[in-house]
Amino acid sequence: MNEFQFDVAVIGGGPAGMAAAIEARKNGASVALVERNPHLGGILLQCIHSGFGLKCFKQELTGPEYAQRFVNQLGETDVTVLLSTMVLQITKDKKVVCMNEKGISVLNAKAVVLAMGCRERTRGEIKIPGDRCAGVLTAGLAQHYINIDNYCPGHRFVILGSGDIGLIMARRLSLEGMKVEGVYELMPYPNGLKRNIKNCLEDFGIPLHLSTTVTRVIGEKGRVAAVEVTKVDEKLQPVDGTSKIVPCDTLLLSVGLVPENELSAGAGVKLNPRTHGAVVNDSLETSVPGIFACGNVLHVHDLADNVTVEARHAAACAAAFAKGEQKESNPAITVNCEDPIGYTVPSEIYSREKASVLFRVRRPVENARMVVTSEGSILLQGRPRSYIPSTMEELVLPSAVLQKADGEITLKIESVLGGENP
Amino acid sequence: MQQYDMIIIGGGIMGCSIARELSKYKLNIAVCEAAADVASGTTKANGGLIHAGDDPVPGTLKAFLNSKGCLMYPVLSEKLGFRFLKRGSMVVGFNEDDLAVLKTLLERGRLNGAPDLELISGGRIFELEPETNRKAKYALYSPHTGLVDPFEVAIAFSENAVANGVHFYLSSPVTAIQKTEDGFAVTLPKGQLNGKYLINCAGVHADDVARLAGADEFTIQARHGDLLVMDKNCGIKDVMTLYPIPKPDSKGVVLMSTVSGNILVGSTAVMKEKDDVASYREGIDELIAGANNLIEKLDIHKVIRTFAGNRAVVVGNNNDFYIRPSRKVAGLFHVAGIQSPGIASAPAVAAYVVQMLKGCGIPMEEKKNFIDTRKAPVDFSTLSTEEQDELIRKNPAYGRIVCRCECVTEGEIIDAMHRNPQPVTVDAIKRRTRAGMGRCQGGFCQQKVISIMAKELGCSPTEIELGDKGSQIIYSKLKEGC
Repeated sequence: MNEFQFDVAVIGGGPAGMAAAIEARKNGASVALVERNPHLGGILLQCIHSGFGLKCFKQELTGPEYAQRFVNQLGETDVTVLLSTMVLQITKDKKVVCMNEKGISVLNAKAVVLAMGCRERTRGEIKIPGDRCAGVLTAGLAQHYINIDNYCPGHRFVILGSGDIGLIMARRLSLEGMKVEGVYELMPYPNGLKRNIKNCLEDFGIPLHLSTTVTRVIGEKGRVAAVEVTKVDEKLQPVDGTSKIVPCDTLLLSVGLVPENELSAGAGVKLNPRTHGAVVNDSLETSVPGIFACGNVLHVHDLADNVTVEARHAAACAAAFAKGEQKESNPAITVNCEDPIGYTVPSEIYSREKASVLFRVRRPVENARMVVTSEGSILLQGRPRSYIPSTMEELVLPSAVLQKADGEITLKIESVLGGENP
Repeated sequence: MQQYDMIIIGGGIMGCSIARELSKYKLNIAVCEAAADVASGTTKANGGLIHAGDDPVPGTLKAFLNSKGCLMYPVLSEKLGFRFLKRGSMVVGFNEDDLAVLKTLLERGRLNGAPDLELISGGRIFELEPETNRKAKYALYSPHTGLVDPFEVAIAFSENAVANGVHFYLSSPVTAIQKTEDGFAVTLPKGQLNGKYLINCAGVHADDVARLAGADEFTIQARHGDLLVMDKNCGIKDVMTLYPIPKPDSKGVVLMSTVSGNILVGSTAVMKEKDDVASYREGIDELIAGANNLIEKLDIHKVIRTFAGNRAVVVGNNNDFYIRPSRKVAGLFHVAGIQSPGIASAPAVAAYVVQMLKGCGIPMEEKKNFIDTRKAPVDFSTLSTEEQDELIRKNPAYGRIVCRCECVTEGEIIDAMHRNPQPVTVDAIKRRTRAGMGRCQGGFCQQKVISIMAKELGCSPTEIELGDKGSQIIYSKLKEGC
């Protein structure tokens, strides 16, 4: 078994991992980047639609183009890139056990950046009853079949879930001449970005059925022949007598993404039950000192550009940790949130200069404003506006607020009564 | 036309275990299976529990074969290289009425020959299994209850049978059976087989097969059961099998571990059409409620798969197995009505069938060169780091991960493709290697599995099916010329 030493080991070669590896190297660390696939880029490689790069490159790129920018940058560095290499285990003391065609090796790292991304929720997880025939697949797998493998996985589709991949696939399928019968969404509001509802459904005349779900898969001769769709009530329970049979040969699932944290859990990293990602502080450091997390393995993002920004921050902190630089010695400020805010990243802040807090609301809220309090006193108030679950929000806390915070801050979104002027 | 001494119809665990047992004798044996793989019916759709034998009514065939079969598993697991875990079980009671039932079960178990049963109460229950619902007051503890992957067992039987000369005909539903001068002519889609004797192991369709052979002597109905599988990280692990107080026609919703480290909950019991193995919402709800009766709390967000299977019930047979020579057609033998504890009984059934055939005067001479062991396939995920390293250095295909959730390598998939009976569907590969059996349910690996299979089979990926006939995954190339 071979052993290697690195300052920083980055796990995962998608947008988060590539940006992290480049940034850690820029910060003077020796870096290994481990990717299980034979190519860098991760899921970006199958995202052949445009919409990437607006924030980081000020131009609109496709997924592979966006990825290639980072592949090229990496090529100019001496980062050790291990392709077709699977990480089997990460230990608390930051030994990364990996395997590839040459055998098992161990990377002894001073700091680790977790960037493994996420996976799609499956039929089993949402327990759709009915036949277990061929023709039920996640939107991402269908995207791989179509965009990478040049395979036709179906002719007539029903899409369950209005997540972004589902919406993008609705358009992609239409462009390839396949029929999309409709997109069905359990919630009373869409789960994807507004621009995708417009560009991928409305422009292609694909109906979006809200508060409706697939309640049964009907198979015939081994393949999907139809699905039963049913309206749901406010408690998301199917309403009797509202079922309809929709003939199709494929059911595509776009029902949410889950950060892939099995390796993190194995290293003893504490997970947030709401995000399914690690609990981190404002250095994006997890509960295990020296292990950092960024990108979709930390929490599911809606834009790759945001992943890049987050990854750079995690990597700079990881490089500093590897160099043994002192952390901020301030006491921690715990970040709490109240409904309808679902979660915040980070959950602890040490800096007193500036801190970025990312969060999402659990349901759409109209005419409401952000309020930040600490031990009951108001530190910050935003202007009234609307918030939707599909958009990740960023709140930058300035030094003045952090200085005033008394051990904790709480983020709230309060309805503005009487329609106060924005 | 192929000539056989014995034709076994049905390649479930019964057909496979009987084929293996009969291959100890100088006989030409064929197994015909309608599906593309062995173990594709009821065998793949149950909990894989090796019950100790406290449940069947004493005096029944089930009672006789269950406790015998249970005690045969440890040795068979060694010989045939399948996983068997003696995890023990408790039937959990909550009140004095339940205690009365537990006492009946204890008595039954003793009469059935199930050893070391013990009635326990209070703190001992939680010492044995801390996850048990805190309201539990009494339990019937059995240290011998085991766990297997039922399809792994059937596959092990089938591979060992092949090593001993048995022929398997897969994707071969029997369409006609004619009585001939010295036996039967069995028609399959690809031709005809002649056999002196027929053994009917056709599961829920055993009555249909009997009728094809002219023996309209019993009717089978299907008792459907829903099951669900939990992610390995669902918060509880390696739980002792927990049974509720049984119902008249089933053991109720049981919570158990699997030999691969998942938690499995099953099964419901509702009469349905024979071929209806769909999952039902009511069934899934009943499973969740049932699990929450046995343990404190099941994390329902960690369900990774629901599935269902049918138990074969011979009408008017008191829920017992129906294993006997046909009443109407000489040379035809039924192994029908196999329901729980079918998996637990399988090895004992095979031995019982051999005795039955001998008892009918069928000449059976033992082979001297019977191979009674099978080498288990490599399970990369369970090897030590040093073993993994060594294996990869010998064969780099073991260094390429295909299924990340279950840590399955290309080497294991290629190995499975070279076994006999040969798996030709994605599900058949899944049952042999666990590729696609994890939390992403094949979302990341299905396309990799298909491409490896197509390469090994020398066919186009569009020809690879999921499981059942017609279960095409990819219709065609999207654009030609690419």
